[in-house]
Amino acid sequence: MTPHSRANIYLGLGCIAFAALVAFVWVPLDVDSGLVEKVRRRLAIGDALAPTVAAVFIGVGGLVLVLVEGRALEQARLRFNDLVFVALALSILVAGFLIMLYAGPVAVALFASETEYRLLRDTVPWKYIGFFLGGVFILVGLITPSENGFRLRTLWVAIAVVLVLILIYDVPFEDLLLPPNGDV
Amino acid sequence: MGVLDYIWMGILAVFQGPELFSILGLPISVTLVMILSGFLLGIMVGATPGMAGPVAMAIALPILISVFGYNQSALLPVMGFLIGIMKGATVGGAVPAILFNTPGTPDAFMTTLDGYPMAQRGKARKALRVAHLSSVTGDTFSDIVLFICAPFLAILVEAYLDLPEKTALLILSLSFIAAVIGGSPAKGLISTGLGLLAVYVGTGDDFYPRLSLGSQELARGFPIATSVLGVLIIGAVFKGLDELWQERRAQGEISVIPEDGDQRLHWADIRRLLPYIARSAVIGTMVGALPGIGSTLAATLGYTVGRARHAKRKTPEQTSFGKGAMEGIASTEAANSSVSGANLIPVLSLGIPGNAAAVFLILAAESIGGFNPGPSVFRFTQDEVNPELVIAFGLFTAMFLANLMNWTIGGVFMRSMGIMINIPKQVLLPSVLLLTLTAIYVQETRIEAIWFALGFGVLGYLMRRLDISPLPFVIAFILGGKLEESARQAYAATGNDPFFLFTHPIAAVFMAMSLGVILFTARKSKGTT
Repeated sequence: MTPHSRANIYLGLGCIAFAALVAFVWVPLDVDSGLVEKVRRRLAIGDALAPTVAAVFIGVGGLVLVLVEGRALEQARLRFNDLVFVALALSILVAGFLIMLYAGPVAVALFASETEYRLLRDTVPWKYIGFFLGGVFILVGLITPSENGFRLRTLWVAIAVVLVLILIYDVPFEDLLLPPNGDV
Repeated sequence: MGVLDYIWMGILAVFQGPELFSILGLPISVTLVMILSGFLLGIMVGATPGMAGPVAMAIALPILISVFGYNQSALLPVMGFLIGIMKGATVGGAVPAILFNTPGTPDAFMTTLDGYPMAQRGKARKALRVAHLSSVTGDTFSDIVLFICAPFLAILVEAYLDLPEKTALLILSLSFIAAVIGGSPAKGLISTGLGLLAVYVGTGDDFYPRLSLGSQELARGFPIATSVLGVLIIGAVFKGLDELWQERRAQGEISVIPEDGDQRLHWADIRRLLPYIARSAVIGTMVGALPGIGSTLAATLGYTVGRARHAKRKTPEQTSFGKGAMEGIASTEAANSSVSGANLIPVLSLGIPGNAAAVFLILAAESIGGFNPGPSVFRFTQDEVNPELVIAFGLFTAMFLANLMNWTIGGVFMRSMGIMINIPKQVLLPSVLLLTLTAIYVQETRIEAIWFALGFGVLGYLMRRLDISPLPFVIAFILGGKLEESARQAYAATGNDPFFLFTHPIAAVFMAMSLGVILFTARKSKGTT
């Protein structure tokens, strides 16, 4: 929080610009009907009205932010560190889910090349390889920054948590699919 | 079929549902066991700092649906479990607040003010007893108000509100939620607008799925689980993680203060506490009945009113508020607990969720099907049974039973939950994140759902960093489809009257109130600058 900051004004102006973009560019270009359309010679509300109302909400919110709350004493703003956090956390998560997606097929290609992963996605241990490796990677990646460096204990904890997840979501149910087995 | 017949059928639906086991020949229904399990889990979750009722509800929902399936008989066990979590978490939140000065849930923050000083004086067990008594009394009062008001309000809505009025009522609800949540009407409006925009992607009446940018993935729209769990749960976990990464285990060892002297709650104590509990219960119930105003505000109001009364009446030897007064704990806990029942008044009577727990109840009802919370539920049909009404009375029975469990075993279980503080947050938060993402995948079974959820999670995180409450987003996402549908029908029903929101008197009043609440709160927020 920074006293007398202009964060609300910037946020408000950003929202007004986004609302204008939605209402005057995105909606006209990406919605088939107008605000109102004629269906079987009768007027009806078109698909464009609802998103335009959404844009009005965002735009009016931005306007009120600029005009009324622009000089608020305490204004929250984004810091560079917040964006660094988002980039780091997302990298770990995306990398973890990519491991989930591809570890199983790679393992099958290496150790059971006569078949394909799709046919083994409901077979132990193949169906757990991706989720196990990706899950452990995500947990170790997200726990380590708050522990002043990597500790072997973190790895054991991550393995235990992933095994518990497999026990909760997969072992008791025949119809539930762990990631990535619904996609392959 | 009379009212009493429906109430009786609702009670029987809970007790005579599918039998899980029997004790001495007495059949125990699966719903009963689910309510108890949810309640105990809720206390554990509430007592764990970093977790909250909605997180547990989000994680449990796909498992519950998988166990019970998509049919009407699944509604009571699943929703009973969620109700159990909701009630348990409210009580459990006080445990770490009192024992370790760390609120288990955000609404228990005010409990730390008097609870922790009492614990420091060696009166931890007594403080927990005060918190339990106040919480359970407030909750029970609030539920009674819900049982009476929800059907009554729903019948009024059905009798007097037509399509234009219902559309205007939805707009009023969204405006009210935008204006009052988070203290900034401007940011509330932005949050609401973003929620509406998100729900309209890939939907609509036309052949081409609107706003889908020609992409196959967006053409199916954002699944409700990805947006709600993304913004509400993943966003919160991101924020918690960010704070943890910055702290880098700055916390030291947790110390346990030894107990000292009489820990029992005597009748004289209860008599002293009752006026505070009663006032806070009324405040919490009134606050809870309005959609969007959370239990944190109720706790603050209850505490403030209690403090004013205590300052006038206390004898010199009695402890002041903020220094370990029993009355302070009672004022806070009764207020924040009495929000939970009343919060279901707008859900059951209007179909409008007022808080995160209500959002998950609606999500469960929508996922399972066969029960659409809203005014049409309370149709007391005479010649044939209205199954939704039986479910509604079944839910009331579930709430009543959860309260009964709270009165009987809740206190003992709650007081044993101090150990939950030992779960390290740096392990808990990433685990909750992976649990939530797994829950989303299990429900949607496509990897796009994970990418959407992460995207909404980042949005939720940025919103929190900018002090934009994510709750209006979620509520707008849930109500957006209903709003559009109702507007389409109202436009057609009024003979293409473009001003249908203003030409019908009640609708016009609702619209004026929508504008009024935004202007009033904007003026108020300007006054505080």
